[in-house]
Amino acid sequence: MSFSNPAEREELTNLLIRTGRSDQQAFAELYQRTSSKLFGVCLRMLRERSEAEEVLQETYITVWRRAASFDAGKASAITWLVTLARNKAIDRLRQHREEQLDDPLRLEETADMRPTPAADAETSQEHQRLQRCLDQLEPPQRAAVREAFFTGATYNELAGRCKVPLGTMKSWIRRSLLQLRNCLEQ
Amino acid sequence: MNTPADHRHDDLRYAEYVLGVLDADARAAVEQEIQVSPQAAAAVALWQRHLTPLTDDIGDMAAAPYVWARIHDALQLAAPAAPQPRASLWDNLRLWRWLGISASVAAAACVVVIFTLPRPAITPSTASTAYMAATITQDNGVTGWTATMDLQHARMIVVPATPAAFAPGRAPELWLIPPGEKPISLGVIARDKPTTITLRTELLTRLSAQALLAVSVEPAGGSPTGQPTGPVMAKGAISGA
Repeated sequence: MSFSNPAEREELTNLLIRTGRSDQQAFAELYQRTSSKLFGVCLRMLRERSEAEEVLQETYITVWRRAASFDAGKASAITWLVTLARNKAIDRLRQHREEQLDDPLRLEETADMRPTPAADAETSQEHQRLQRCLDQLEPPQRAAVREAFFTGATYNELAGRCKVPLGTMKSWIRRSLLQLRNCLEQ
Repeated sequence: MNTPADHRHDDLRYAEYVLGVLDADARAAVEQEIQVSPQAAAAVALWQRHLTPLTDDIGDMAAAPYVWARIHDALQLAAPAAPQPRASLWDNLRLWRWLGISASVAAAACVVVIFTLPRPAITPSTASTAYMAATITQDNGVTGWTATMDLQHARMIVVPATPAAFAPGRAPELWLIPPGEKPISLGVIARDKPTTITLRTELLTRLSAQALLAVSVEPAGGSPTGQPTGPVMAKGAISGA
């Protein structure tokens, strides 16, 4: 879910702000509204249901403790929440599994995963803009960026999965990021 | 002083941090910079805004209800114990209650629900006997709780179907009764929210289609004797998947 509807975004912002004031009801509703999205992200990155559940649990415990530091002027509520979940998932990957997940098949899976037309209509403007900018990258670079984002893999892991030298992977990703920045900040 | 080239290099590092490609040490270095430098924090936040919309491509996945129960317990929240259901099947207490209405089919239905939930292809497939279930029915035929046993993760989730009234100082305690054995306590369970129970090995090995689950009325801290001391208010047979 993209939470692209402005009214819905505002509701989430309010729930997160109320959570920051230790409002348990708001926290419960925030969990109810956002945990499926965050769990999808965690599961995509960690691939293990029980690990994803643990990271989801850690994430919301941190949400409760840190919600007061949320600044609606700097990030949307959903970006703040997803970022927290991704960071926890990446930390987990680095602790336990650095260099473990070399599986070249995974790249094609990710590369093929695009939203269906129906889902496309519901995605946010930000998502559509990002997608247009990603579409301007060469296919292998675009696949590498998506793989990196969705799996939290290090440069080394990505190079292994794509079967390219480490230096090549670094330059693919860095060039892609610069190109994305230029495109997104136009 | 930072030159424009330094600035571009830093910005690229922040982008790499947000994308998730840096190793643990490089990540820690960026996190340190975010703490001390408002410019670094702003640059990282901008990249988060840029890249986070990619998560719209990931399908939502409902988390099992015990995740919320664990968060609730870890933070020692007072209320609400169970958030109001919205879209997801797993989180939908009404669904569990509905399942509980028809006592004879509910246990089987729970298992069907578990198996028909969307699972990502990336999750290793588990043996088909990974789950067992029981509907714990009161003497009047009303379902009191629905129990689902996840054998792979050695845990049982007990969801109340109809919140029961208890005298002050009394609480429901759940028992496993293997055929021909004395009841084994699974602990006091909540009457108004899901309870997650870790299944020790000696319990796992005793779960079978011949075993029963029963709930008795005990003092708030649980039976003082290790065996049921109060009346059995609900019971149900375990069925496999």
